[in-house]
Amino acid sequence: MSGTSAARGVLGAVLILALWEATARGFALPAYTLPAVTQILAAVWEHRAALQAAALVTGFEAVTGYAIGALAGIGMATLLVLARPLRVGVLPLLLAINSVPVVAWSPLVLLWFGVGVSSKIVMVALAVGFTIFLSALAGFDRVDRRSVDLMRSFGAGRMGIFWRLRLPAALPLIAAGLRVATVRSLIVAIVTEMLGAYGGLGWIIYQSVTLIDFVQVWAAILVASTLSLAFFGAVGALERRFIFWR
Amino acid sequence: MNAAAMAALRLMGGVILAGLAWEAAVVGFGIRPHLLPRLSDIFAAIALTPGAYWAGLQRTAAETLIGFAAGTAVGIANGLLFFRAPVLRDMLLPVFVVSQTIPVIAFGALVVMWFGNTLMAKAVIAFYLTFFPVTVNTLLGLNSVDPRQAALLRSFGATPTQILFRLQLPMALPQIFVALRLGASLSLVGAIVGEWFGDNTGIGVLLLQAMYNESVVALWAAILCAALLGTGFYALVAWAERRIVFWGAEQ
Repeated sequence: MSGTSAARGVLGAVLILALWEATARGFALPAYTLPAVTQILAAVWEHRAALQAAALVTGFEAVTGYAIGALAGIGMATLLVLARPLRVGVLPLLLAINSVPVVAWSPLVLLWFGVGVSSKIVMVALAVGFTIFLSALAGFDRVDRRSVDLMRSFGAGRMGIFWRLRLPAALPLIAAGLRVATVRSLIVAIVTEMLGAYGGLGWIIYQSVTLIDFVQVWAAILVASTLSLAFFGAVGALERRFIFWR
Repeated sequence: MNAAAMAALRLMGGVILAGLAWEAAVVGFGIRPHLLPRLSDIFAAIALTPGAYWAGLQRTAAETLIGFAAGTAVGIANGLLFFRAPVLRDMLLPVFVVSQTIPVIAFGALVVMWFGNTLMAKAVIAFYLTFFPVTVNTLLGLNSVDPRQAALLRSFGATPTQILFRLQLPMALPQIFVALRLGASLSLVGAIVGEWFGDNTGIGVLLLQAMYNESVVALWAAILCAALLGTGFYALVAWAERRIVFWGAEQ
């Protein structure tokens, strides 16, 4: 059953690629309409040095910002659970910051932190931090009121309830947030690079658009997608290792 | 008079209070205007050229709404198609799922190159950012329907169309709205980023111009517009969800 659907999936992907290649070659489509798959792959190979350097920059920004954002997000959610009175003041402020579409912060962060790598790390940390903060908070809060009361009646303290009840209950949601955040970290890094950068995949995409070099845009998108898939896969593998009871 | 009016009043009170706190904090702590200007200065900047902000707001809203509506309609139709044609689903769904894990927004660059810097180009970006998640979640929702319920309805003589509209689609709605809420914020981001590739009006343009002029006040004014649009749009989707999925109120 699942073998058939997997085979169909592979077949579908191959068919799409073949159709793409045949359309682009058969109708001799110009590169600005649709470059052939082989043409894009050739461009990736031809510019492999530049693309690799750019992927390293973007990957570094995404992973560093991701780590900072994840720690900050989980830390902030933990703080708001353990020190409940803080919520009244802090939560509305955080939700107000989050109500702005994240990319709208990019120009301001660029002005504050400059065109270099640090502004991208800040942006990624911001986007990832909020994603994970919101899922962690939802996870900590979703425990049954009665379970909390039961543990308290047995003399468990606030920390005991947090470690033994809230954290295990929240882990699946935190893990889901961590997975979604991988994709988001690369999107935000690339989008911020488009606004201004000294290097990176987003910068290459923006430069290629202004130079009207379509094949190069496709090549950079292909590399960015591969990077994103690898990051997503790595976080998913770590998750399966550590949340083994799911 | 009713709960909704009370909630609106409370929300308005909260916003006014937050605005006063902002103003007081900037003046009180002597925050440099380079970091955070006074709220009154930002409003003054908007009042100076209200036309530009209003036009930008309308343009970006139109791009987002057109793309979002089309993405919703085509996404649900596509989810139904995949549900009815398992072979097609098996062949194409993996591509859709993978599209959720790659930065599809980067394709915005290509869309702008294809369509030029038109309203249409941004609507297309907003469209596909909504379309993929809605398709996946529609299928997910349709598949979560208990087949025994469908069998029961069939035994009463219900036609497949009736089963679809009375059972399967309503059961799928909560899942679909999860995707719609995601699509609401994604499509706005897509529209703003699309405008960065060179346009004349829109929130993204206002952001870009303010950045090039290094005008922090204008930047904050554009950020406020973006927040207004994002919150309004999200609230609209959430309101529709409460009205349509009235039985799923516990979320």
